[in-house]
Amino acid sequence: MSEHDDYHVPPTESVYECEYCERPFAREELRALHRGLEHASALDDEEVEQFRDAHGGEDESLRLFRLKALAVLVVLYFTLLMIYAVV
Amino acid sequence: MLRRRAVAVAALVLLAVGRASAHGGSLAEGVREPLTIPTWLFLSTGGAAVGASFLLASFVTDRSLIDAIHDWRRSVPVPARRILVGILRALGVAGLAVVFVAGYLGPEEPRANAAILLVWVGWWAGLSMSAYLLGNSWAVLNPWRTIADLLPSLDLPYPDRLGAWPSVLGLLGLVFLEVVSPLAENASLLATTVLAYSVVTLAGAVLVGPETWFGKVDPPARVFRYYGRVAPIAADEDGLRVRLPGTALSERRLVDGRDEVAFVVALLWVTTFDGFVATPAWADVARPLVSAGLPPLATYLFGMLVGFALFSSLYFFAADLAHRSADTFLTPAALAERFAPPLLAIVAGYHVAHYLDYFLGLSPALAEALAAPLATREAILTLPIPGWFGGFSLASIIVGHLLAIWVAHAAAYDLFPGRLQAIRSQYPFIAVMVVYTMTSLWVISQPDAALPYL
Repeated sequence: MSEHDDYHVPPTESVYECEYCERPFAREELRALHRGLEHASALDDEEVEQFRDAHGGEDESLRLFRLKALAVLVVLYFTLLMIYAVV
Repeated sequence: MLRRRAVAVAALVLLAVGRASAHGGSLAEGVREPLTIPTWLFLSTGGAAVGASFLLASFVTDRSLIDAIHDWRRSVPVPARRILVGILRALGVAGLAVVFVAGYLGPEEPRANAAILLVWVGWWAGLSMSAYLLGNSWAVLNPWRTIADLLPSLDLPYPDRLGAWPSVLGLLGLVFLEVVSPLAENASLLATTVLAYSVVTLAGAVLVGPETWFGKVDPPARVFRYYGRVAPIAADEDGLRVRLPGTALSERRLVDGRDEVAFVVALLWVTTFDGFVATPAWADVARPLVSAGLPPLATYLFGMLVGFALFSSLYFFAADLAHRSADTFLTPAALAERFAPPLLAIVAGYHVAHYLDYFLGLSPALAEALAAPLATREAILTLPIPGWFGGFSLASIIVGHLLAIWVAHAAAYDLFPGRLQAIRSQYPFIAVMVVYTMTSLWVISQPDAALPYL
């Protein structure tokens, strides 16, 4: 199996293809992130700007994810603690 | 409360040790104590531990840190490499000779027989452990490989579409044979089985060439190669390459194609099946089937194949879900390949839990038997294993899971440009790992029952 067979784009989907390696992405931000990670030296100013924006936008949602993950961990810990105290 | 918890943990530890008496371990005395906490709580605690470690791993979103951990490596040159390889090969062939000689001519008592001890304690328990803890030495030791390299080869073309499927069938077949026949008690039966395996293996190697046979078809060679990928040490052209344990598992193309994914899942399943057949639940499944007219052996085969089908469809279903949750154009098949190697760390963890005390307990007997393979013995030399030692078994299950979760995390970060996307891609696979863990813990928590109809 070659690297190319790993991707399948359904004909009805909108697709954002990387200009450097032709990899398809489902969202524009993902392509911007990919370009910044894999083709950093080849990018022009606008693409660098897009990468920064996408990366910054992700920071925001990651912060939220971390809070949720922390909440789940705390709930999990105390639930088990309670159960062990009772059983 | 603390004390009660300590007792509960100690019980888990004892249970993990007790299971070591399964099959290969029908030589060892098992320690079995009832759980002091309800089974559902034992299982949920295990499942929660896996889920919680995923959440903890998800806090690491720094790509350069992940890369630094996974790219770290050192090369160690090996002096007199050719002589060393020659010695190891000779040792492997000598070991095979011991299995034949002691198998047919050695003492009947299984724990004094060098063939039985060498195969189950030395090879299946000890060498496997060294394969994932240190590095795969079977590639050099393998006596059939050494012999096949000396034989002429017809080099017939191997059909590509067969891929790794023959080794998947071979693995299931060998473990089936191990479960249903007294291979761990009857030395001459073991020697005959090894003889049959030798004929098939050498014939195969002559037909398609040793490189193809041991690379694609031979199940033990594949098992050891996969175990070796968990290990920190690997051999390359210049000598040895040292990496952090498990970090090699996140590499691309380590598992290629649906057939190789199936092999990894099969390896995980047979580890579970080996313990499952000794639970009362299996007896409850098997009895009605046998009274309905199914022959006992067919019942075992049926149980094995159904379980394998369940384990693999669950895994491929997770790959489908991950394809959606990650919002990617990568195919489910590509995701299944990338997230399969972490399962090997879980398999290694369970293997330690099953076999460590068995291996240590009987290794003096093995050494004694090898020193004089044909001598009969009054007393068997064993190493007494203290109860607290079982803590290592429980710890190894946990470490295996932690490693698997970390490697899946690293693979996801290598695969996806988005950090949150990489986290989301793992949800289904983590869910599957939780199910696998709870299944294995459930098997461990069951009382030991005699294998029905055997």
